[in-house]
Amino acid sequence: MNPFLEIKNVSYSYMKNTAQQVNAVNNVSLGIDRGEMVGIIGHTGSGKSTLVSLFNGLLKPSLGTVYVDGKDIWENKETLRESRFNVGLCFQYPEYQLFEETVRKDIAFGPKNMKLDDAEIERRVLRAAELAGVKPKHLDVSPFDISGGEKRRAAIAGVMAMEPDMLVLDEPAAGLDPRGRSDLIEMIKQYRERTGSAVVLVSHSMEDIARATERVIVINNGEIALDGSVDYVFAHEEELKSMGLNIPEVTKVFHRLKELGFDVPPDVYSVDRAVDILTSLAERRKSDGK
Amino acid sequence: MVSDITFGQYYHGNSVLHRADPRIKLILTFAMIIVIFLCKNFFSLGLLAAFIILVTLLSKVPVRMILKSIKPVLIILAFTAILNIFYTHGGRTYFEWWKIAVTEKGVNTAVFTIIRIIILVVMSSLLTYTTTPTMLTDGLERILSPLKIFHIKVSSLAMMMTLALRFIPTLIEEIERIMNAQKARGADLESGGLITRAKALVPIFIPLMVSAFRRAYELALAMTCRCYTDGNGRTRMKQMKLKITDYVMLILCIAITAGVIVLNIFFEKVI
Repeated sequence: MNPFLEIKNVSYSYMKNTAQQVNAVNNVSLGIDRGEMVGIIGHTGSGKSTLVSLFNGLLKPSLGTVYVDGKDIWENKETLRESRFNVGLCFQYPEYQLFEETVRKDIAFGPKNMKLDDAEIERRVLRAAELAGVKPKHLDVSPFDISGGEKRRAAIAGVMAMEPDMLVLDEPAAGLDPRGRSDLIEMIKQYRERTGSAVVLVSHSMEDIARATERVIVINNGEIALDGSVDYVFAHEEELKSMGLNIPEVTKVFHRLKELGFDVPPDVYSVDRAVDILTSLAERRKSDGK
Repeated sequence: MVSDITFGQYYHGNSVLHRADPRIKLILTFAMIIVIFLCKNFFSLGLLAAFIILVTLLSKVPVRMILKSIKPVLIILAFTAILNIFYTHGGRTYFEWWKIAVTEKGVNTAVFTIIRIIILVVMSSLLTYTTTPTMLTDGLERILSPLKIFHIKVSSLAMMMTLALRFIPTLIEEIERIMNAQKARGADLESGGLITRAKALVPIFIPLMVSAFRRAYELALAMTCRCYTDGNGRTRMKQMKLKITDYVMLILCIAITAGVIVLNIFFEKVI
């Protein structure tokens, strides 16, 4: 079966046919299945945001084809419109797109554009608000009267309310404090478990990607540099470094420990897990030594 | 699509005109626009046209760019030409049919007006092609500074203009971002009648306004933090000083004006 989203030999250049032409995406092919959880990582300017804008036809590829659900999205107006609803794209700092009088109406903007009936819209709004962690008491408040983190959740709910088969989040945790970050990543993980929708997480934070995703695609200079499991990608420490990326600090410590001859696994990406492993290691040594 | 809008059409270069003092450029452009309307016959207009061609060559702005600046006024040109040809009567009649008559005076007036408008447009676009928006506001501030005696805060006005110009690209970028975000939620900006389209702009304009105000507050705060009061007594990084070339330009313009007046007197009036 074909993957849900398939892009074939896609290129995209800004300011085409001028002296300042920038090839943001260069002959990229990839497929993402239904229900997959994928992280896209790359340093600033690597073309990752441009790449995801091609997923739902916000940008038209200069070359190549984008298939969503087996259909070429640029075939006609209808397929293009459908792709917008099938691939829910949430940009960086989505809180700046809020505009309605109440949070409820703002979340309903997407479903309303889908021309659904009122009862269905209401159902979707409540469900999306619940999934995104928007507090019920905030639904009838102006989106400009709630805190930054709450705005972010309301805006993400606005995309979730379209109930897309694939949710793409561009740097969803940008500008949040560590606590807000981990809460948000947790929310996204739960969203995927509960809805079964595919999720693409774009970030330059290795920690977030490692915590949330199963497959990682590394973008460098508009091309796919690495594509594979988290373990596979993080094993290429030197290559990542040459692309201006860094594996999590904790993982680096463990790689070094292994070099020094300690019996530790190489796939440690979170501090919690590191603490567990180190305490058990320490206990083992204690009992061995004595 | 939004990014196609070019603003403050500065053409990067390093010609005599680019280096000239913005104050002189502003005043001379303004003065020469008045001189265009002093021209009464083809001889004086021809002198002015020759002057404009000379200035264009000096500016080293490509002819393609100059033509591009004339393009938007083509309709106005055609319109005035037609009106003048058919509504001005006098002199020899070239062509007559029913109530329509094309006369010598009509043709002369039409040609005269067209040349006049073209000179006008080329002259003012040369100013913006060779002067950056910041230089323009700086120059304007200096020219208007005598208004201080009427308690008009010229420096604040100039600062506002500079800031407005500075934020145009930022806001264009912002519009694009918001448009993409709303399109991703299925907003349809391209179809429907006038009212539907106007309504479709609400989700773009409200976030834009909100962010413009937010930026304004942030900027005001940042300026206050750096002890900005009202620009009075502020010194400049680039001091404006008239150079020899500026005086040469001034004298050239005076000479052209004198020439125009002399030619007006010695030759027959056309318009």
